[in-house]
Amino acid sequence: MAIEYLLLIGSLLILISIAFVKLSDNMGVPTLLLFLCIGMLAGSEGPGGIYFNDPHLAQSIGIITLVFILFSGGLSTHWQEVKPVFWESVSLATFGVFVTGVAVGIFISIAFNISLLTGLLIGSIVSSTDAAAVFSVLRSKQVSLRGQLKPLLELESGSNDPMAVFLTIGIIHIITIPQTTIGSVILLFFVQMSLGAIMGIGLGKTLVFVINRLKLTYEGIYSVFALAFAALIYGATAALGGSGFLAVYVAGLIIGNDEFIQKRSLLRFFDGLAWLSQIAMFLTLGLLVFPSHVLSILGIGLLTSVILMFFARPLSVFFLLALSKFNWRERTFISWVGLRGAVPIVLATFPLLAGLPEAEFIFNVVFFIVLTSALFQGWSIPAVARLLHVDAPYEIKRQYPIESVPVKGVDTELIDLIIPYNSAIADKPIVELDMPEDSLIVLISRGDNFIVPSGGTVLQEGDSVLVLVNKNNLPIVRKIFEKQQELAERGDVSN
Amino acid sequence: MKITDILNESVVRTNLPGSSKEEIINEMIELAGSQKQVSDKERMRTAIFDREKIMSTGVGSGFAIPHGKTDAVSDIVAAFAVTAQPIDYQSLDDQPVRLIFLLVGRDNMVGPHIKLLSRISRLMNNEDFRKQLLEAETPEDILELFRQEEAAITEG
Repeated sequence: MAIEYLLLIGSLLILISIAFVKLSDNMGVPTLLLFLCIGMLAGSEGPGGIYFNDPHLAQSIGIITLVFILFSGGLSTHWQEVKPVFWESVSLATFGVFVTGVAVGIFISIAFNISLLTGLLIGSIVSSTDAAAVFSVLRSKQVSLRGQLKPLLELESGSNDPMAVFLTIGIIHIITIPQTTIGSVILLFFVQMSLGAIMGIGLGKTLVFVINRLKLTYEGIYSVFALAFAALIYGATAALGGSGFLAVYVAGLIIGNDEFIQKRSLLRFFDGLAWLSQIAMFLTLGLLVFPSHVLSILGIGLLTSVILMFFARPLSVFFLLALSKFNWRERTFISWVGLRGAVPIVLATFPLLAGLPEAEFIFNVVFFIVLTSALFQGWSIPAVARLLHVDAPYEIKRQYPIESVPVKGVDTELIDLIIPYNSAIADKPIVELDMPEDSLIVLISRGDNFIVPSGGTVLQEGDSVLVLVNKNNLPIVRKIFEKQQELAERGDVSN
Repeated sequence: MKITDILNESVVRTNLPGSSKEEIINEMIELAGSQKQVSDKERMRTAIFDREKIMSTGVGSGFAIPHGKTDAVSDIVAAFAVTAQPIDYQSLDDQPVRLIFLLVGRDNMVGPHIKLLSRISRLMNNEDFRKQLLEAETPEDILELFRQEEAAITEG
């Protein structure tokens, strides 16, 4: 295909997807579902008629986009919020995934007379959850969650993909190389996870250290640097035999909770990149599937979905949270919020590439499960939250005239100050003022002009400025602005 | 908006009486507060003294610019005075103050407010101009000085 057509079609698909984000906001459907549908409609069996049947390319796109989605997910996870539910989340993300996968596997191998290993493979592929879908629905319906539910679901779903990946690869291993022993699989597990965690922490800290010392002239390059570094974290960890997905998520978590220059622009960049990744991934997966083939497994797909939603997920949640502080309403809700996202579909391409004879069947079953889970669970989440009384009023974030990070529970206010004559801060760039972190010079008025400052903007005597300041830090800010030049430095000493 | 647009003879004084910062600011409020744009002089006073608490508006070189924003005024009001004696204003450079500009803006008009603040403080950051103001004998002279200085700055 000529490049202009490739760009035309690709961009149109993305733009249509974005248009549907708006629609999904109004309807409360998970966005991922819409992206998948657009991919399917654009595909060879829909009006789009684009023939795409390259699982290898789809898997590559899937892995690359997943790297950025997980990295961005880690970046936006607040450690202080998830810390209290760390162990619960991690046990759900590891043992929980295992229990879910095994339960589904055993059930379908008995119910549909397929081999236990094939059953377990399907179970493993669909064992991880995607909370981004959950939160997008809640946000669009202006519902929030009570207590520790949100951090738990956030951390669980962000960290359970590596386990699902491991289980999938492990079982494919056992299927394709029959002499594989359980012991070697368990060893693989520890190597994957420990290496993934260590590389994630180490490289995450390295990135922060390096970025603070780079002194790059161009702001935009910082994002490119971080982007390349995220890819490096995945690549290096996976090449060493560790879990690259775990490493990028952990690294994102480390970086996002540390301080470094250009943090705001980086967070924004990766937020945008994560969106692009999601859209690209779902469109690709939607294109890859042949809906008519999915329909052929309607019965088994539907039943597996039901088992997953009503039996396997609740089983693992109630089992692993048995001793936790979550009450039965919360446990029930967590059970219901086991939305399946893109990861299962990406994982479903693994058997295809491994050349398993049942691969096509597995792919279609998995696709169907993801569709039904996103549709039924996604749609019903706000209602279920209300029913179980775990919903909370949605806090609409206050809009500030300029982007800032308001500290919770503390008053931030906008004050006007004048740069005094003979001020020590005149003729200095703003970055050198040592303003407290949550204080920001928003606007400078000089003569007849307004100047929106950046770090390099130089203040002058007699400028009036609007400063966004946390009340606690007012004394510090005042001190900065009150400081006078040393007498010796003054150009004219007035009388 | 020009500085001369918000000043008129009724709000400009030479030899303003008073010996303390508070007295002087209150005198200025009386000057500006008698105009029709001011619906509540006391709320205006509160706004000005509240702002003063954040950081002294004595910006140095014998000049102070007490100001505030409030919905007790329907439009920007101002006053200017040369004090009869040097005032300890707790200025940032610890110098006594003799030149005072009062500016009160409407709550929701941040832009014009800070624009005037910077205009005024820039105008006053000129030693010759300050000297001429100190030597002026009548409010008319002061207004004329502002007119000339503002015109010079706008042209330059």
